[in-house]
Amino acid sequence: MRNDLWRLLAGLGIAFGAPWLLLVVSPYLGMTAAEPVDYSADDKSAFIGYPDPNMNRFGESDYGREIYGSEGCAYCHTQVVRPTYAGPDMWRIGWGGREGQARETRPGDFIGEGYAYLGYQRIGPDLANVGTRISERLKARGSALTDREWHHLHLYAPRQFEQYSSMPSFSHLYQKVPAAGREDEALALDEEFAPESGFVIVPTEKAEALVDYLLSRRKDTPIPASMKPVGFASSSDDAEKE
Amino acid sequence: MSLDLNQATPEDIRERAAIDRSARWPVLFFFTSAAAWLAVATLLGFFSGLKLAVPGLWEHCSIFNYGRLFPVHMIALVYGWAMQAGLGAMIWLMARLTRSEVRNGTTIIVAGHIWNFGVSLAMLAVWAGKGRSMPWLDFPAWIAPVLFIGYLMTTLWLIPMYRARRAGEVYVSEMFLIGAAVWFPWIFGTANLLVGDSGSAVMSAGANAWYMSNLIFFWFIPIALGAAYYLIPKIAGRPIYSYPLAKVGFWSLAILAGWTGFSRFVGGPFPAWIPAVSGTATIFLLVAVLATGINFWKTVKGDSDVKLWEFSPTLRFTMFGALMFVVYGILSALSSFFTFSKVFQFSHFVVGLDVLAVYGVFSMMIFGAIYYIVPRITGCEWPSADLIRKHFWFSTYGIGTVVLTMLIGGFAQAGQMNQWDSSFILSVEVGSRWVVGRIIAWLLITFSNLGFFYQLALMFFGRGRRSEGATLMQPHSPESAH
Repeated sequence: MRNDLWRLLAGLGIAFGAPWLLLVVSPYLGMTAAEPVDYSADDKSAFIGYPDPNMNRFGESDYGREIYGSEGCAYCHTQVVRPTYAGPDMWRIGWGGREGQARETRPGDFIGEGYAYLGYQRIGPDLANVGTRISERLKARGSALTDREWHHLHLYAPRQFEQYSSMPSFSHLYQKVPAAGREDEALALDEEFAPESGFVIVPTEKAEALVDYLLSRRKDTPIPASMKPVGFASSSDDAEKE
Repeated sequence: MSLDLNQATPEDIRERAAIDRSARWPVLFFFTSAAAWLAVATLLGFFSGLKLAVPGLWEHCSIFNYGRLFPVHMIALVYGWAMQAGLGAMIWLMARLTRSEVRNGTTIIVAGHIWNFGVSLAMLAVWAGKGRSMPWLDFPAWIAPVLFIGYLMTTLWLIPMYRARRAGEVYVSEMFLIGAAVWFPWIFGTANLLVGDSGSAVMSAGANAWYMSNLIFFWFIPIALGAAYYLIPKIAGRPIYSYPLAKVGFWSLAILAGWTGFSRFVGGPFPAWIPAVSGTATIFLLVAVLATGINFWKTVKGDSDVKLWEFSPTLRFTMFGALMFVVYGILSALSSFFTFSKVFQFSHFVVGLDVLAVYGVFSMMIFGAIYYIVPRITGCEWPSADLIRKHFWFSTYGIGTVVLTMLIGGFAQAGQMNQWDSSFILSVEVGSRWVVGRIIAWLLITFSNLGFFYQLALMFFGRGRRSEGATLMQPHSPESAH
């Protein structure tokens, strides 16, 4: 009777211990110890190493990443560009990176980030490369907005850009202040979303941090030639479409 | 034909009554807290779906943002409702299986309060903007120990209960329940250590996905199956169709399920073997799923033509949950294939599958257990068969709606998203129509549970029906057994 219990527990221990150790703990420990690999010897372009230890992870601060987490962004946005055998992500303009540099997301892309917000669902677009995508798109359209301004506007009033967007308004990250002297920071809102005259909407520190984080979203650091996807060329037909 | 063949001696009956009496307050505490959280969770499910379809609603109120409502809904559903319903069932089942009375009822109730406190803190923290966007682990890291302590205080008492049991082989239900009791701390502890601000960002996210799958397969499913393996033979009046098959079901689950989870991120930034192994394990789990499904079906059906589930509420809920288990197993296995995951990964379907696991499989089977357990520990019967029927049918409609609309909606949404040269917003538009299904589903589920709460409250205060015979879904008469 007691032996039965110990046999059961031993069986459970081994049956569960194996995947716990081999699938979770061991790879985890292995990846915490991962060091950037130096490819300079065999790559022609004086490539330092992958991942680039000097890459600035979050812009000005880590705070933006916390806000991304606490606002539940990962429930609607992913940060995974899948390789071509798993989905057509890389063909979408700007999703995999800049023109001609599109690639899938790799583990080394997230080094130093604590938790990779790979995401739960794609109700909104993938954000792995949103830092480069928005500025490229604004440039292609000849827009007067900087990408920082675009992000602020989009966070405050998503439906200013897309009528059918499901994105919630993050207006609690912004403040309504009297217009006097604050025109520089003010969001260029359409009439429908703008506050009454004499007032403007300006970002708070939290909004700036979040936008810093979003602008830092680029998973297109150079990789050695041996890691580049074979025979892949992204379409350059229409910079208008996402 | 009797619906509850009872070849027990008078001593057995007295013993069972004593066990049931000892279990009354701890188990009722967990069931009623769980039911209260279910009410909260289903309403939050409705509102989060609503905010997805109509994002402009209350848009200047941060607490109504989808990114806050959805995680809070999940915390209430998983930790508030499902874990507590499972704990309540586990206590009663282990007491009955080991034939020991529940001796530390007060400690267990205190533990339950600690658990409730932890869940409330978790919900409020995420709602107030301290969440972490980590599915099922959103709450700030310091809340995990509170939940852990509540859990341990409840389940440690299973040890003396087990030691007092009489000799005999460990019955399959006990295997599942002991398994669940041991697996949860292991999984929860690992998840809380690895997920969060950790040394490896991608493995942290991967461990999160692993945790979700393991919580389903190593806590929710074992408790539901343990309950079913106890209740189905009891009500059907027959032993399990094939006991060796039951053990196959248990061990295949025990061996395979720990490898699952990473297939949520097929194609993700992991060494390719990790999601591949998870996907394979999920496919092989069909062995466990089908073994269990066949066993339950054959036991209930037996040789007769009588459809027992038409009469017994417990059997009806349990068998429906078992059917959903088979559906869940098949859909999960399909998700491991690239052809399927190219379309369904990250689509609305993900939510449909998760809700199927927690509500369709686990909750329905636990409702079956609750409908059996509560009359025995309170000494009175469920007042209204009509309310039980409504509970069943509207839950069925609800879970059917959410699974179908999220399956079709996911297909439509992701199918459109995969048209890589067309605008992304089209996938949002296409998907939004199906999100309405999610809203309707939670509304149906909320409605279905109103009657359940009402009856449970009556039973809690001992105001159930006091008459001979169990409350059946349909009146039973000997002529109907043909």
